[in-house]
Amino acid sequence: MSDAAIRADGLGKQYGSNWALRDATLEVPAGSVTALVGPNGAGKTTLLKLAVGLTRPSEGTVNVLGLEPRKDEAELMPRLGFVAQEHPLHSGFSVKDTLTLGRRLNPSWNDEIARKRIEHLDIPLDRKLGKLSGGQQAQVALTLALAKQPDVLLLDEPVASLDPLARREFLNSVMEAVSEREMTVVLSSHIVTDLERVCDHLIVLSHARTLLAASIDHVLASHRLLTGPRGGDDVVARVHNVIRESHTERQTSLVVNANGHVYDSRWEVHELDLEEIVLAYLGYRALEAVT
Amino acid sequence: MIWLGWRQQRTETLIAAALLALVAAILVPSGIEMAHAYSRDGLSHCLGFNKAGGNLACGNVIGSFEQRFSKYSSLVDWFTLLPGLIGVVLAAPYALELERGTNRLAWTQSITRRRWVTTKLGLAAGSALVAATALILLLVWWRQPFVRLDGRMDNGVFDSQGVVIIGYTLFALGLALAIGAVWRRAIPAVMVAFVGYFVARIFTDIWLRQRFAPTESLTWRPANGPDPARLRHAWVITEGPSDKFGHLLGAGKASVCAGPGCPFPGPPNWMHAVFVPASDFWSLQFTELGLFAAIALALIAFAGWWTLHRE
Repeated sequence: MSDAAIRADGLGKQYGSNWALRDATLEVPAGSVTALVGPNGAGKTTLLKLAVGLTRPSEGTVNVLGLEPRKDEAELMPRLGFVAQEHPLHSGFSVKDTLTLGRRLNPSWNDEIARKRIEHLDIPLDRKLGKLSGGQQAQVALTLALAKQPDVLLLDEPVASLDPLARREFLNSVMEAVSEREMTVVLSSHIVTDLERVCDHLIVLSHARTLLAASIDHVLASHRLLTGPRGGDDVVARVHNVIRESHTERQTSLVVNANGHVYDSRWEVHELDLEEIVLAYLGYRALEAVT
Repeated sequence: MIWLGWRQQRTETLIAAALLALVAAILVPSGIEMAHAYSRDGLSHCLGFNKAGGNLACGNVIGSFEQRFSKYSSLVDWFTLLPGLIGVVLAAPYALELERGTNRLAWTQSITRRRWVTTKLGLAAGSALVAATALILLLVWWRQPFVRLDGRMDNGVFDSQGVVIIGYTLFALGLALAIGAVWRRAIPAVMVAFVGYFVARIFTDIWLRQRFAPTESLTWRPANGPDPARLRHAWVITEGPSDKFGHLLGAGKASVCAGPGCPFPGPPNWMHAVFVPASDFWSLQFTELGLFAAIALALIAFAGWWTLHRE
């Protein structure tokens, strides 16, 4: 993991007296498809805006492909694709105009990629952006970022405003793009479910702090829910990393980041899905749903 | 980027062009009509004619000409608002873009933000320059007959007869850009800037211009014949009866007072005037252009700087 596409070190951003992001230290491995997960207000958007240079850090540093977004703008921007949360497109522009914009503003633009995608999605070229559905607008925004042929693609809550079908189609597009071209992708979201299919790496961010950063396979393999008789959880805690515990009168439930196998036969071991693990980190009581 | 800049200010450029076309539609026919009347009535022969002098025929000809076309003249006085209107309209796309946040789309393509800002602001300033130049040509051509008769130094005429229009247009543009960059609301920014433009213009007309203008003063004896030649077509700031040292008597402006109510009966012995001679027209134009253009450039630079450094 020494080869990081994005590296943040003590990164913080202050708006007025509020810190939107503080002391964020994390790495996004090159070539990964990373889900950046956290509740609303965790600083996901701020982190991505800092990475793309739309805003400048109040403290700390962020590097993308070894470059500083604000300083090495001219060198970095051609290699960086970004789709903002609200997809700010010119509503008065036709789809064709929007593609022209992409062609004129990006030396690395591949018009064939753009045209094929739009054609494939059945979006009429002469339709004004303002007249497209939310899903189509998101797809046009993604097309704009993909035809630039970026090495790093940042998608800020790309599916939050989409209906389930459009959400599925959008993520399919992302997967397709990843299979066709070697690149690092970061998708931020406050919902994990959609991303599990697409991503191979996970970063959980809460209150501007990194709670977990690992490959999804590893996360799934190492996190377990243990249920057993009340008491005795301190023995578990000695070996394993307890993320969350809850107790009823007779039973104790623990979400652990297991350090190897759990041998103690008093504990019943359950597998967890990604959402449950993330929620455990974020502090919700997801356990009742399982037990 | 230039393509994008044009594409985005297309509507506003068309509005500015339509404004100019409307102005041309008013000025061109009436200008032709005036130019015809001017040569048909032989007004050029009366140019040296002094109103206080004796040539009655010329007096009549000039009188009827001015009466006939004064309706246009008072209409054209309103055109002093045009540079402001054109300036703020051409500034609108910039503020609109910041309001909608679509600048972030351009900023996440491959060009630098600095290039985006300079291209956008440069295009706006460039089109303002072109529009202002067209307006100058139209207004100067149109007013020729009046200028030959009455000069072009008076407040109401000076501001529509030369390069100052470029300064005014750029000033309105810069003001709207600066307010729009900070406020990031297009419509209010444009409206406030237009009001600001109007206030600045009035302030210049009634207070500022006479402060930086190269004024001269003269004291003369009306009884000795016509007014001094230097006063011809000059911008007279104050004029009135005075003592022989040029100290004005009574309430300044009453130029000739005769009758029982007068502080001094009969034509005064001495007259005194503070004025800017017609020969200083261009130096005054360029001074005022420089003043407005400098403020405009500072405002435009501020708009760009603010946009680049705000976040």
